Amino acid sequence: MTILQLTLNGLALGAAYALVALGFVLVLNAAGAVNFAHGDLVMAGGMLAVALAPHITSFWPAPGLALLPLVLVLMAALGLAVSWLAYLPLRGRPHVSVFISTIAVGIILQNGANALFGGEPRAAPPLLWGGTVALGPLVVSVQSLAILAVAALLIGAQQWVFARTQIGRRLRATAQDPEMARACGIPVTAMILATFALGTAYAGAAGLLLANQFFVTPTAGGDLILKAYIAVTIGGWGSVPGAVVGALLIALFEVGVSAVLSYPVALGALYATLLVILVARPQGLFGEAARRRA
Amino acid sequence: MRSVLASGAVALIAYALLYASPYGLRVLTVAGVYALAATGFQLVFGLAGALSLAHGAFFGVGAYATGILGSQLGWSFPATFPVSLALPVLLALLVGLPVLRLESHYFALATLGIAQVVLLLAVNTPDLTGGANGLAGVPGIAAFGATLPRGLPLAAAVWAIVALGGLLAWRLARGRWGRALTLLRDDPLAAAALGLDVGRLRLQAFALSALYAGAAGALAVHTQRVVSPEVLEFPVMVSILTIAVVGGRGRVAGAVLGALLLIHLPEWFRFLERSYLILYGGALLAAIVLAPHGLTGLLERLLPPKPRPPPAPLPLPAPAVADGPVLRVEGLAKAFGGVRAVDGVSFTLQSSRITGLIGPNGSGKTTVINLLSGLERPDAGRVDLLGRDLSGARADRIARAGIARTFQSAGLPEDSTVLEAVAAARLERDASIATAEAHALSVLARLGVADRARERCGTLPAGLRRRVELARALARQPRVLLLDEPAAGLTDAEKAELSGHLRAIAADGVAVLVVEHDMGFLLPLADRVLALDQGRVLYDGAPAGVPHDPAVVEAYLGAPA
Repeated sequence: MTILQLTLNGLALGAAYALVALGFVLVLNAAGAVNFAHGDLVMAGGMLAVALAPHITSFWPAPGLALLPLVLVLMAALGLAVSWLAYLPLRGRPHVSVFISTIAVGIILQNGANALFGGEPRAAPPLLWGGTVALGPLVVSVQSLAILAVAALLIGAQQWVFARTQIGRRLRATAQDPEMARACGIPVTAMILATFALGTAYAGAAGLLLANQFFVTPTAGGDLILKAYIAVTIGGWGSVPGAVVGALLIALFEVGVSAVLSYPVALGALYATLLVILVARPQGLFGEAARRRA
Repeated sequence: MRSVLASGAVALIAYALLYASPYGLRVLTVAGVYALAATGFQLVFGLAGALSLAHGAFFGVGAYATGILGSQLGWSFPATFPVSLALPVLLALLVGLPVLRLESHYFALATLGIAQVVLLLAVNTPDLTGGANGLAGVPGIAAFGATLPRGLPLAAAVWAIVALGGLLAWRLARGRWGRALTLLRDDPLAAAALGLDVGRLRLQAFALSALYAGAAGALAVHTQRVVSPEVLEFPVMVSILTIAVVGGRGRVAGAVLGALLLIHLPEWFRFLERSYLILYGGALLAAIVLAPHGLTGLLERLLPPKPRPPPAPLPLPAPAVADGPVLRVEGLAKAFGGVRAVDGVSFTLQSSRITGLIGPNGSGKTTVINLLSGLERPDAGRVDLLGRDLSGARADRIARAGIARTFQSAGLPEDSTVLEAVAAARLERDASIATAEAHALSVLARLGVADRARERCGTLPAGLRRRVELARALARQPRVLLLDEPAAGLTDAEKAELSGHLRAIAADGVAVLVVEHDMGFLLPLADRVLALDQGRVLYDGAPAGVPHDPAVVEAYLGAPA
């Protein structure tokens, strides 16, 4: 029974991580750049929810649900700002430049949040309401179920848009081969900006979802970016379904090891596993084409 | 430039001696600590191009070594400082071997993972480290019964170590080692093809950077007299990275300038209190977007350094060579996935002879060159250079054994001068950069491009770039020269000139293999021609026979209807 309970908790956490990893990998594919600020953007989404909540509660019974579209839109705008500041000026420069510029964005977000909200952990309102429901023998928090539902909805929406719509096809073409996409008349820069907006909106949604049960602190982004990175490494660099599966695996691992030992041990073991994977499979689990045409 | 830096140093000393308050001296001391850490970071990140996010962890390990030994065991500086230097270096060597093989962002991730593991260990082993609270009561810098007082003496001691470390790093960066690192940063494949052991150079830079970080960490706790997990947290790493980028990547002067500026910056923006790192974020973003070469880059643009006088050309001694077979290749094979790119190729290259290697696109010509030069590992087959077995050897070993190559897409570093690019080929042989450049100039003169020695490679027209690449390969004094489409993009006049040069090179005893599509160029030039199709040798014989060989004609034109 405990195992089932833990699995459910792990899946709910994994659903939120999956949103984080999904946003990270979409930007990675479209821009060909690692967005190191991604974890801090998740944190920013959580902080945004915390800041907006008091203005919503007064006239809405389920503040979290009302916050969700607001957070998505505002975070999408933040994503555009980040790409405009830290990505567009550095196109055509070595990859490490974007890595560093997004580290800079992360520092600004982290310390900006610290200046505005202080360093204490804060909680966002639950999506629907607090409390638990009994599912047969299991006691499940309503928030966990809500996280699963919202994450499934958002990931499903992304899959549907990418598979079925004209703009989705353009986004995919941009991610696969920007040069070719440009030659086919696709506005590649606009597509990359749109991907930044989408990825950041999803990061913000994850922040909102995580900030209820797990709280949010200004420094939360560091572990989140590492987890997104690990999810993408496990799932195969650049693979979208792989990132989602990797995120679920990480969360199950984390919840399982935390239950038996402790959270720091779980985190340490996770990073150690990552190092082993990287060393055993230097190109990631599924390999990355890095050979130069000599 | 140099005089500006010297007067800056004098002004700094004057400020420290005459005006600085005790608090000002403390800030200055901290700036020295970070200057030292950032100097180490310049070696691994600036020169070797590896974004090591473990640098803060090395700093922290050095800090904890001094902190624990000093506060718990009562060891003093002469005993703790060497441990603070050695432990981070050991850690770097231990993790560096596997981790340094990783591609850029994986390396950054792996080193960040290492940093997080070290931080978790420090927080969660309170018996050893004092846990989240850390350890108080770390002694100051003490030796022979006397403790260095805080204020001016401590600041002077820290800055003396900065000066020493900075001088060492500056000499290393300017010398052959620094040149080799920048070469492998910009193009690891070309670096290996020029005989440089990329793995060992990276590991050296990583370990040396850890030494600097450890020293800085030790000095940091001597200044603060406390060690806590703060020394391992990301802000330390962020500060060092920001200092290096804002100061100027790869420059020791940049590390010092950056540290002085950025450590003082929060003092000028007191109202930000503990959120001063916002400034670092802003400065880092502004520097990477607007001034990628940092403060030293801006200074250099304002006060361009005087060009050094060109070296006197120094001819390379002609090696004594015997006629006969030089390179024997037997049963060479390589498959990519299910495709057999090279499928049992055998041939022999003779000294003083030019061999042409032809074949339709995808027939395996470039793969043969990549296998012979060690960029790819063959699945099977034997490569033998003058009786020495080179089968499956690493690229740099093959290069040192006497095989040189050029690349199809000319692989010259855009920002280097022609002279620097060609001298890079001599880094592994010559004792100094001056000798390497003198040798390089003589090779450039031989190919008639000595007058271009001062120009940047990125500004050269295609024909000249190919000539410079040929000069770089030739500067290796190879026994075997592998050329991948040397005539592509050349005018007829340039092709004729190239033919002349290649004949002269062969006449000196070099065995030359030329991959080429242009038959009008190749057939009159070559002594012998090999034709490949689908990874196999179709034809091996005189150039005159090529146009009449039915198998070759079929491979190019398809089966007759």
